Amino acid sequence: MWLLAALARMQPAAESQAEDVACLRRIAAGDQGGAAGLYDRHARSLYSLILRIVGDETEAEDVLQEVFAQAFGQAVRYDASRGAVAAWLLMMARSRSIDRVRARRTRFEGRTGDVQGLDQMPDSQPDAASAMLDEEQTRLVQRALGELPLLQRIAIELAYYEGLSHSEIAVRLEQPLGTVKTRIRLGLLKLRDVLKRPNARSPRVGDPSEGQA
Amino acid sequence: MSTHDELKANAAGYVLGSLDVHERREFESHLVECVECAAEVASLRPVVAALATAVPQVTPRAEVRDRVLGSGAGLKTSPYTFHERKSSPALVWLPLAAAIVIAVGAAVYAARLQRQVADLQARFDQAQSTTAVLAAPDLARIDLQGQAVAPGARARALWSRSRGLVFTAANLPPAPAGKAYQVWVVTAQAPVSAGLLTTDPAGGGSQYYMTPADIAPPVAVAVTLEPSGGVPAPTGEKYLVGMP
Repeated sequence: MWLLAALARMQPAAESQAEDVACLRRIAAGDQGGAAGLYDRHARSLYSLILRIVGDETEAEDVLQEVFAQAFGQAVRYDASRGAVAAWLLMMARSRSIDRVRARRTRFEGRTGDVQGLDQMPDSQPDAASAMLDEEQTRLVQRALGELPLLQRIAIELAYYEGLSHSEIAVRLEQPLGTVKTRIRLGLLKLRDVLKRPNARSPRVGDPSEGQA
Repeated sequence: MSTHDELKANAAGYVLGSLDVHERREFESHLVECVECAAEVASLRPVVAALATAVPQVTPRAEVRDRVLGSGAGLKTSPYTFHERKSSPALVWLPLAAAIVIAVGAAVYAARLQRQVADLQARFDQAQSTTAVLAAPDLARIDLQGQAVAPGARARALWSRSRGLVFTAANLPPAPAGKAYQVWVVTAQAPVSAGLLTTDPAGGGSQYYMTPADIAPPVAVAVTLEPSGGVPAPTGEKYLVGMP
C-alpha cells in the first residue's frame, strides 16, 4: 500500500504538468474526457485541502464542485507559462474554502474582518504557482510540520488553513502580536531549512548573501 | 514608520496572506527596495505552497465525480442534462431491474438500520451522563483531524468550562499493547491532560472528562499515543489535532 503510494508519486513533475495542460486543452475544445482526466488527477488532493479547511464533508463537496466549475470555465484562458496547473487548482481551492470559513465566522461573530481579500493574497500571484515543490520536498515539509513545537504549528495552521490574520491569531492564542509573528516566522524558516539540504531551490530574487545593503 | 526588523518580521505573514491591509501595503512598498526581504519572501513561497498538500489525504465520494463532471458539461450544454430522462428500449426491462435493486437495497438498508439502532442505544446510555455538557450555555465545539499516522481518524470535542469535556472519536487504529490514547486540552500555556481514551475494536470511543474550572481557554485539543498509564505531558505521536 505504502509502496504503491510512493511509486505513484514518482511521476516526474514536468510530465505531470504536460498531462494537465493537455487536459485543459481538451476541456477548452469541449471534450468531456479532458474534464474527467483533470478530475481524476486532482480531485483527491483538492478535496483533502478543502475538507481540512471547511471541516464538513457536504460543504467540502460543494466547494470541490465550484473549484472544478471555475477550472473548466477558465481552461480556455489558462496560460501554461504561469506555472503548474496543480498549484493553480490548489490555490483556487484554498481561496474558496477560506472565503467560506471567513463568511461563517463573520456570520457567527457579527463582525467584518479587515484582513486582505484573497484576490490580493501573494499566493495568487502568477510566480507563486511556479514555486511548486517536487513530491520528495513536499514530504519533507509535511514531516517537518508535524515536528514543529505545537504552538508554532498551531499559529501557522491558523494562518494557512483558517485564513486568520496575525492579529486575530494573537487574540485566539492570547499571545502578544510580536510573539505570534515570531512563532510563525520561526516555524516557516524551520520548514524551509529542511529544503536547504541537497536539492535546495535557489531564491528567485538576488543572492541573500548580497542582500545586506 | 517601522524599522527594518519590524518589517522583516512580516515577511512570513505576507507569504501566508495573514497581514492586515495596512501592514501588507507597508510591506509591499518596502519589498521593492529591499533585496533581503525579497529573498526571504521568495524562499518561503514554495514552503507555503507545500502546506496545501500537507493535509491528510481523503478521497471524495464517488457521487461527487458525477456531479462535477455533470456540471462540467455546462461548458457546452446545460449543467443539468444528467437529470434528463430519455425513453429507450430499456423501459421494458427497467421496472424489473428497479424491483431487484430496490429489494437488495432494502435488505442492505435494514441491516444498516439495525446496526445504527444498536449503536445509538449504546450512545444514548452515555449521552445521558453527558447531556449536562451538551446543554451548557458556554459550549464550544472543536473538530479534530486525523494526522499523518491516522489520516482516516476523526473526532469532535464539546467543551464547557463549567461542565467539562465530551469527546467522541472514530476510526482510530487499535492502540498497540502497553499503549493507550490520551486526550489533551492544549492551552496557550501548556497541554493539560484530560484523561485516557478507550476505543472499541472499530477505533471509536466516546468519553466524558472533567476539566479544571480555572483552565485557560483551549487553543487546541489533541490525542497522542502514550504508555498505557498515561503521562503528565505529551511525549508520543499525535493522532488527532483540532482547533476551535
